[in-house]
Amino acid sequence: MRIFWILLKKELHAFFVSPVAYVVLALVMVLNGFAFRAALSVLENAPSDGSIVSWTFHAMWFWLSYFFIFPLLTMRLFAEEKKMGTLETLFTAPVRAWQVVGSKYLAAVIVYCVLWLPSLINFKFAHWISAGQVELPSGAMRGAYLILVVMGMFNLAIGCFASSLTSNQIVAAIISFTLSLMHFLLGIFILVVGRKISDTIVDIVNYFAATEHIRIFTAGLIDSRPIIYYLSMSLLFLSFTHHVVEFRRWRP
Amino acid sequence: MIDVQDLTKQYAGRTAVNNISFQVEPGEIVGFLGPNGAGKSTTMRILSGYMPATSGRAVVAGFDVFHQSIQVRQSVGYMPENAPLYTDMRVKEYLHFRAELKGLSGTAMRRRIGEVMELTGVTDMRKRLIGNLSKGYRQRVALADALVHKPKLLILDEPTNGLDPVQIRHVRDLLRNLKSKHTVLLSTHILHEVEQSCDRVIMIHNGRIRANDTPANLTRQLRSTTLLHLEIEGSGNLAEKFSAITAVRKATEEELLVHPWRRFTLRVEPDHDVRDEVMELATQQKWRIREMHRQLPTLEDVFVELSMNAGTPTDIPTHVL
Repeated sequence: MRIFWILLKKELHAFFVSPVAYVVLALVMVLNGFAFRAALSVLENAPSDGSIVSWTFHAMWFWLSYFFIFPLLTMRLFAEEKKMGTLETLFTAPVRAWQVVGSKYLAAVIVYCVLWLPSLINFKFAHWISAGQVELPSGAMRGAYLILVVMGMFNLAIGCFASSLTSNQIVAAIISFTLSLMHFLLGIFILVVGRKISDTIVDIVNYFAATEHIRIFTAGLIDSRPIIYYLSMSLLFLSFTHHVVEFRRWRP
Repeated sequence: MIDVQDLTKQYAGRTAVNNISFQVEPGEIVGFLGPNGAGKSTTMRILSGYMPATSGRAVVAGFDVFHQSIQVRQSVGYMPENAPLYTDMRVKEYLHFRAELKGLSGTAMRRRIGEVMELTGVTDMRKRLIGNLSKGYRQRVALADALVHKPKLLILDEPTNGLDPVQIRHVRDLLRNLKSKHTVLLSTHILHEVEQSCDRVIMIHNGRIRANDTPANLTRQLRSTTLLHLEIEGSGNLAEKFSAITAVRKATEEELLVHPWRRFTLRVEPDHDVRDEVMELATQQKWRIREMHRQLPTLEDVFVELSMNAGTPTDIPTHVL
């Protein structure tokens, strides 16, 4: 465990001394600002069923940031070490593969969580400045941030896996972007053809669809199924990563 | 310290290391010598626990490199080729990180980091970003990292690669000083380095061990000819007269010197000294000699011979094999 913390500290250090974390943070803040503004204007014009929280996370701007975060945060993790050859120094120190994979992943998750803190300020500030007129339903808040974290964990695990496959960061980013996008497009697929296919298929696809999860959770409904789905998929991709990293040590 | 038995490593369709066996005793400095792609790095990577062998067995410091990889890595200080380092860290920060990983802590760790920085001469650079260091300094930082946990065995893959002559000498002195505390296995393709600093040389080519002996023995045993260089004043066909001496295999006249001086190179049978006979001949013929110099074969000749003959094993002197 001691080794794990040492590695985690180093990974976090790497995030915050390189410009990557700050660039992503700035990008997310700007896009969040737009999403928040879009949500406000919806509420401005007409009474609405949805809260400011749910409108914010339904805005196109939110999804735009969603796709950029994961490749940018994870592309470096393994690809850079492979390219520079430091994976060799790392694995000739007394460290185990799970410690390396785990620390890199957890560092990415921590940075990811930090990215969403400014959006929290947006909500609180709107609530405060409008003297409580802009309501922040606690269920919606909890649901929204919970699903954000678990969805993030899933996509970061995909990113980790993508990065372990190659020594080229661009390739890693493209793989992780493509996988995340394909997952997202499942929900769009239902939006487009939903009325023309049987309900069973719609239900099955909705079970996987990120858009659907966001819709349910930002409405304040906390459903354990998506949480379990995302967490188990994260574990699956992390174990893939572990296998790729350990592959070197396999013996016929 | 190292016991390698029938080690083989195959990459997809290519055999990098082919059934090699050797031992290294504690306190030895052993040089791994071979042309590029001979299998030196692969062997070292297997010994340092980075990757497993396809077959065979290797025991380092009493631990099996495959089954007890973590223990092996704790007792080995490994410096990979080209000294890969985290370029976004500062020297001291990096050594701190590596020392912690290798199980050091507290004041003992800080003292040790100070020691290795002093030893490798990077103390002045401790606050510099590794990315801004020259190749020579990076190499030293990597060496400091390999030393930091006082490993029983040091495995250094081309430690002097890319250094200038002064730095090479520095590393060589350093290795000699380390000898009392560590066993060292280093690889290189610079022969001079091996002759200077190693107790024993293991020559490897195309994944096989070609020779395993002390540098002195290797050169002595080499059945290649000794050369005799002459600068002489005389007329007529001197080469023919030299060739008449039984131990001279071949006499050739080199480029012209200022008249009347001429230069000859005689190839002499191994373990023969023909200088007396040449002197006699010269006195007899009233030639004047102003230089006579015998050149013994160097390790370089052994190396070149082994590399050149690799395709046809019959040409390789049997006692070297």
